[in-house]
Amino acid sequence: MLDVQVKNQLIKILGADRYLDRLEEVACYAYDAFVVEALPDAVLFPETTAEVSELLKIASRYKIPVTGRGAGTSLCGASIPIRQGIVLCLSKMDKIIEVNTRDRYIIVQPGVVNADVQKALLPFRFFYPPDPGSMNTSTIGGNIAMNAGGPRCLKYGVTIDYVLGMEVVLASGDIVRFGSRNVKDVTGYRLSSLFCGSEGTLGIITEAILKVMPMPEAVKTLMVTFDNLDNTTKAVTDIIGSGIIPVAMELMDKLTLNAIEDAANLGLDRKAEGSLLIEIDGVKEACEKEMNKVIEKVRQNGAIHIQEAKSDIEREKLWTARRSAYGVFAKLAPDIVTEDVTVPVSKVPLMIRQIIEITDKYGLKVGVLAHAGDGNMHPMIPANKEDKEEWAKVKKAFSEIFQAAARLGGTLSGEHGIGLAKAEFLPLVMNKDTIDFMKKIKQAIDPDLILNPGKFV
Amino acid sequence: MTPKPLQNCGKCGLCLNVCPVYKILKQEQASPRGKLQLIKAYDNNTLASSPLLKEIVSKCLMCGSCAANCPSGINHYSKFMEMRKKMAEAQGETPAIKSLIYLLGREYRLKFGAGLARTGQKFVPDSFAKTFKFGNIPLKNFPKLNSIPFRKANDEVIFPYKRQIGTVIYFTGCATNYLYEDTGFAFIEILKHMGYKIIIPKDQTCCSIPLLFHGAADKAFKNIITNINALKNHEADAVVVDCSTCGEALKNEYPRMIEKKGQDPSCANKIASKVIDSLSFIDQNFDRLEFDPNVTDKLSVTYHAPCHTRNSFGSNTLAEKLLSKLPFVNYKQASDVNECCGGGGTFFYEYPEVSKKMIDKKIKNAKAVQASIWITDCPVCRMNLSGNLDMNDRLQVLHPLTLIHSALKQI
Repeated sequence: MLDVQVKNQLIKILGADRYLDRLEEVACYAYDAFVVEALPDAVLFPETTAEVSELLKIASRYKIPVTGRGAGTSLCGASIPIRQGIVLCLSKMDKIIEVNTRDRYIIVQPGVVNADVQKALLPFRFFYPPDPGSMNTSTIGGNIAMNAGGPRCLKYGVTIDYVLGMEVVLASGDIVRFGSRNVKDVTGYRLSSLFCGSEGTLGIITEAILKVMPMPEAVKTLMVTFDNLDNTTKAVTDIIGSGIIPVAMELMDKLTLNAIEDAANLGLDRKAEGSLLIEIDGVKEACEKEMNKVIEKVRQNGAIHIQEAKSDIEREKLWTARRSAYGVFAKLAPDIVTEDVTVPVSKVPLMIRQIIEITDKYGLKVGVLAHAGDGNMHPMIPANKEDKEEWAKVKKAFSEIFQAAARLGGTLSGEHGIGLAKAEFLPLVMNKDTIDFMKKIKQAIDPDLILNPGKFV
Repeated sequence: MTPKPLQNCGKCGLCLNVCPVYKILKQEQASPRGKLQLIKAYDNNTLASSPLLKEIVSKCLMCGSCAANCPSGINHYSKFMEMRKKMAEAQGETPAIKSLIYLLGREYRLKFGAGLARTGQKFVPDSFAKTFKFGNIPLKNFPKLNSIPFRKANDEVIFPYKRQIGTVIYFTGCATNYLYEDTGFAFIEILKHMGYKIIIPKDQTCCSIPLLFHGAADKAFKNIITNINALKNHEADAVVVDCSTCGEALKNEYPRMIEKKGQDPSCANKIASKVIDSLSFIDQNFDRLEFDPNVTDKLSVTYHAPCHTRNSFGSNTLAEKLLSKLPFVNYKQASDVNECCGGGGTFFYEYPEVSKKMIDKKIKNAKAVQASIWITDCPVCRMNLSGNLDMNDRLQVLHPLTLIHSALKQI
């Protein structure tokens, strides 16, 4: 519980209905999509930038930890209040402020859900490219704080590539604005890059100007299976090497294909060692031409089965197979852990093999999905958290998976972030000077270290 | 295959955007994920029962959208019902809910209550009826009760107009029996027109879902046994329902409850395997419908998909398909056809401030497509939609059966 004097000051700003501190309420803010939990003392729901500023001034004065939160879908525990204190939930700052497709931007508050941005752009035939798996639920504030990615980021890039400007409230309560409505803007430091991916450790995002894109005229989708994992990834590099950047190239390994087939019976090839879901978009004629080239490349790499979606329904069906993978694995055990180690594309088959070796060693099940075009892997391990022995094995396995990725020149996280999940592994991919440099930045911006403490910095 | 009972919530949050209550309140304790967390804490004795806990658990439309979209396959629906039972035991019920449970628990009470209420409706002064509200809904907008309960007004066995092609058992539900007889009469006419013999077992009673929602599991179980006994002795090709919630009960909850009590589920399973909602049944028999060739004007019609039609029968798209197929209908889809209306059993009465926001949005979007008829196949949705419209809205709410019946060729 917060000191009653602090509580009264906070309620004075928000009113009693936007300040929660009863156990029945705060218990619902102890978690996100990661496995660790910690109870906050209070949860606050600001509705304006001015309120955020006032709240942070009080938090600074009394040195109370503040953990920002949107929809709480972080897979690395970034929104868990591990040092208690305040959860600052931005879910009620959910207004779309301006849609301007002529000048190619949209301005939103942080609590706007990613899918609602897409919905607002649809009538203009525009879209916002970053498409994290949680896009129907997760908020733009969270997407920016975590620099979220998604399947189509292969062609279009990740969140940072679409942030034109931001309004951020610092720990002191100061309100800073940088960037602008202009697609080109090199005025001053590119501070968006600092705050995007800062995981709530440097400031609270209260508004964002996002770049948007016109929708492509045509989309083509292919499902290809291979009898050899190396050929599967060789096809990926060959396609990109031929000058084509598909929207997405989603790889599933044999275990994943078979698990989906067991559960959903979609007619997938059980004998395939690897499969690729490939999507191309663009002008109709270019799309045709590129698709032919893609087919040529997968054939050259020994594709055994090529299925092209002939309609939107068929396309949806192919994507359903891919999207159902998580659910299928989630149902295999009471709990599931999924990570997002990333390696150079050419190292994908090696990495998959090492993941399987490691999990085999510990007697764990694993399914591997990968955004193969950018080497971003999602090993999914279903297990039982209550089974202490098994859970310890899961932890050990992931620790070894991170080390294996680092040895292959990869990195800890392609799109989920570091948060609590991977903080201890940072030295695998960053030297001490670099970690110290991040700490210096943190201390300069948040001297009392109140913003999202206990995380990676 | 036995279901895995251990499945935990992975807290992915995919239920948040499909939860009508979360979308309005934007607070985690309103979400299915939050409620599961609280249930777990309560079961582990780390959270005590309290009026607030009961309120949080009850602030749910029981629409089932969370369960339908859960990647881990969690059955929120039954978890919430069990928790509601625990909370009702620990915290008690409000007098209004208590009397509802009392009425629904015994058919004769329900009959008697409906009679009293009908008399009451006649004697309520107009000035009072105009200003008094039940939840969001002004009293004057409430449906008039049937003058004779529907099942009493019909024979137990009804024969078709033409050569008999089969037999159906009609489980009428309370809404058709006491409130919306037009739905029931329309369904009978349609079935007779198709060539079905209809059995309306006299001793059927409330399906028990409202009782389960309010934690009265023991009373619910008595109703379940009564209904199984009422239905099991008739041979029929199908058990038809005009309310998806009753349908969901017969199809899923009855076998589950019977098994939970350790009793033989074979009768419940046999009934469950034959349960079909009215729209799916009509769709399967569409070729048997003959429409009146004199009806040439097209009606502009929009649709509201009830949550239980969507989540239990998946027949919401079927309703739209069916409406588009009707020769006298110009179907206009509202942008939020699949969004919850906020009715949710007694939700609109218990949480009018949340419910109001949902229904206002629905009305705005239904009016935007400029339809004159608003179709929905759930009695609570119908009550909620029509109860919140006013005269100037020029939108009439109907059950699809009434609409279809109105255009049938006379035989």
